[in-house]
Amino acid sequence: MKSATDLQTVVEMTRSIPCAPAILPKLLKLAEGGSADLGEMEMLINLDTGLATDVLRTANSAYFSSNQRCENISDAILRLGSKVLYRIAASTLTGRWLVHPVRGYGWEPGDLCRHSLCVAICAETFSKKMNLADASTAYTAGLIHDLGKFALAYANFTSLDDISDRVPAEFSTWREAEKVVLGFESSEVTKALLENWGFPSTFVSVGHFYQTPSESPEADRPLVTLIHAAKHVATQLGYGVGVDGFYYEPDVEALQAAGFKDEEMDAAIPEILTTIQRFISPAGDIRFT
Amino acid sequence: MVPSYNPATAQMPTIIVGVADLKISTEPATYIATHALGSCLGITFHDAKRRIGGMLHAMLPTSKITQGEKIREAMFLDTGIPKLLTALIRAGAKKADICCKVFGGAQLMATDNFFRIGSKNIDMFYRLSQEMDLDVVSWEVSGRVNRTIRLNNLTGDVIVKIPSKPEFIR
Repeated sequence: MKSATDLQTVVEMTRSIPCAPAILPKLLKLAEGGSADLGEMEMLINLDTGLATDVLRTANSAYFSSNQRCENISDAILRLGSKVLYRIAASTLTGRWLVHPVRGYGWEPGDLCRHSLCVAICAETFSKKMNLADASTAYTAGLIHDLGKFALAYANFTSLDDISDRVPAEFSTWREAEKVVLGFESSEVTKALLENWGFPSTFVSVGHFYQTPSESPEADRPLVTLIHAAKHVATQLGYGVGVDGFYYEPDVEALQAAGFKDEEMDAAIPEILTTIQRFISPAGDIRFT
Repeated sequence: MVPSYNPATAQMPTIIVGVADLKISTEPATYIATHALGSCLGITFHDAKRRIGGMLHAMLPTSKITQGEKIREAMFLDTGIPKLLTALIRAGAKKADICCKVFGGAQLMATDNFFRIGSKNIDMFYRLSQEMDLDVVSWEVSGRVNRTIRLNNLTGDVIVKIPSKPEFIR
């Protein structure tokens, strides 16, 4: 275990994790345009054997399969369409990164992945009800919103224990304690990681400001607020929530400005839970595709 | 109380209760467990004389929120608790011998306007426990911790785990 160090060192350390979702922004760019370049998409997917396997498996699953089997990625792309394909890629790539074993935050193996998946599903559900962002964008933003915490846990600092001790003793929020103990917030690590990987600026805003959407650039605020709401609803659901989870305050101003209402969020929970339980078993096992 | 290692109970099988789910067991040498309650409530019923136990993992206080849609009874306290009690009595438990314990209901900070499921669940459970005359012997609710619980059907003890802390018994 190491004592505290600077933000840049934390970001540098995560470069050694082999399965960073670095091709995701390139796929996002391809999927965002109406006429995705299928050849380039195929090339990117084929770079990653695990992703290519997931794409083929999904294309040949009972849900998508016709009489004819997809034998290659090119056929699978045509069958699934760029949106579904992108969703598989986002889940596979970030999921793999997030289940990398780390210590910190009181997580059990896979906890950050479970929690991020719940935030993604909440964000997708609210995006459809609130019309604040495209559903695929909201889903991806939910998956990647807290990568900085993963990076901090990967760096394996004793400082995480100091934060964990300080928060209940001083009745401070987790963010306040991070700032005092580390000198920076985990959201700044998320921002640096996403910038390094070339994610679009909206996603960088999500990572940086999802805890305080009122401070985000105005153009990004609808998506950032959506993730803020999704994050807290997912926290209440409990899946993968670590020692930090409940030590946050809602940004009431941003939530009200975006039109969120407490009762409506509660009413969406049965639908959200049904979706989550398609991907997470009662014992907590995750099945992304 | 901190649980100590006991070879007699270490190998007992565990029945897992999902979110919006309930399970009972008439087999004494069994654990019934549920993971990561968050703001949900985990409620255990146990008849110590007959060693019949059950657990509910309810997410929301009231089924009225669904406005006439088909509901999953175990998702809500107002439908899940009566269902769990009925199941236990059908399995041979006597209501007068059933002890109840309640866990969960964690809350974010400064939640006057939003994200109040934890406190709503606790309020509803309190009301229902009075109305149904439940013998509630343990309350381990509220706070800012995510609880995982495991009912030992042999003893009625509930082993509680929260992140970064040792297990303890209620």
